[in-house]
Amino acid sequence: MKSRKRKLVEHILLLDYNKYYRMVVSCVKSREDALDIVQSGALKAIGNCASLKKEAYAGTWIYRIMMNEMYRFLDKSKESPIDEVEERGAEDVYGDIDLRQALELLPLKDKVIIELRFFEDMTFEDIAEITGEPLSTVKSRLYRSLKKLRLTLE
Amino acid sequence: MERKNEFEKIKQEYRNVQMDEKEFASYEKAVKNAASKGRGAVVKISMGAAAAVFAVFLILPNISPEIAYAMEKMPILGNLVSVVTFRDYQYDSGRHMADVKVPQIVVDDTEGEKDRGTLEKTKKTAEEINREIEKISEELIQEFKENAKDQEGYQDIMIQSEVINSTEEYFTLKLICYQGAGSGAQWDYFYTMNLDTGERMALSDFFQEGADYKKAISENIKKQMKEQMAADENVAYWVDNKDIPEWNFETITDETGFYINEKGEIVIAFNEGDVAPMYMGCVEFVIETSAVEDILKK
Repeated sequence: MKSRKRKLVEHILLLDYNKYYRMVVSCVKSREDALDIVQSGALKAIGNCASLKKEAYAGTWIYRIMMNEMYRFLDKSKESPIDEVEERGAEDVYGDIDLRQALELLPLKDKVIIELRFFEDMTFEDIAEITGEPLSTVKSRLYRSLKKLRLTLE
Repeated sequence: MERKNEFEKIKQEYRNVQMDEKEFASYEKAVKNAASKGRGAVVKISMGAAAAVFAVFLILPNISPEIAYAMEKMPILGNLVSVVTFRDYQYDSGRHMADVKVPQIVVDDTEGEKDRGTLEKTKKTAEEINREIEKISEELIQEFKENAKDQEGYQDIMIQSEVINSTEEYFTLKLICYQGAGSGAQWDYFYTMNLDTGERMALSDFFQEGADYKKAISENIKKQMKEQMAADENVAYWVDNKDIPEWNFETITDETGFYINEKGEIVIAFNEGDVAPMYMGCVEFVIETSAVEDILKK
């Protein structure tokens, strides 16, 4: 006998899995690790589905669990936590390297926002929900990153 | 707008990343498994590195009671009761592994000491417990056999038992069941038997009639849970959880496993996921004497 929330979560997990998977692959660079992370995230989402407050937000709720799982994994494999590492003087360097490298040089959280916005076509509101950051922060991060990448995509 | 084209390219590459068939199969199985089992049973199917399937089948047939009797005999308890391995089921195909030793309580009045009534009672109790153990084991083995038909899956089950002999008066047989596929889950069952009377013992038998032993015990458990959580942030129990209040531990039931340790203290045992997240494993609480001494039978 499945609860409604559990059914909903299961349904979304079986529909949107590639979205989580490709995001995680892009950040952890390993398909095997990404699969592990997404699987753990899925099990956590199912296990905790009772704490999902509004069913309409199930999509972003699951996404957030996936991101947390990913950050937890990355935290474990680095000595220092994923923090804001502001590159000094990197702004000038970006013009000379290709875009792919420039994207990789962004602080992880900024890269994630770029990908959510432009690769997943998400609204700022949804991005704010997923990252747990205020709308204004999300926007300023995005614009700062675009400047670094010398892009005018907006 | 060279950069823009480059960006489009990167976007395409990003979106082309997808789980392949094998990866999705593993993911889908894990999700469906977890969704159907409900809270507490989180089974992760691991892709594993071992792709090779070495088929080494080792299936020992069911051992009949007569043969088992002659084979492995655990120490006799009270000269009347012994625990033997009734059924030994082994299977190893590389992906699917079973190590099952199902115990059975055998009653044999070799010394001729016990009176007819007690002997009969003892045999009856043993039969009852054996039947329950058989049912649990059979279910697990059947499920295992079903899953073993799936070439791609991984699983591993284990059943073993342990005699927790507390006093000359009674003993407890602990049945340990483990089922794993990537990460695993364990369930323990406890059967306590009075060696003097041959009766099966329930928790209520240790307390004065009418006493609310369930409340006293449950409150003590909650107290210990909170103390442990306060002392160590890695410890988590479902008590006072505001996010998921329906999971919070309220009270022990007639089904809650228990045994008496060497000090004569009551130990309450919970299975994985019952009162705490799965990662806490099977948790036990030694009930503080002060919490129950007033209502204990003496």
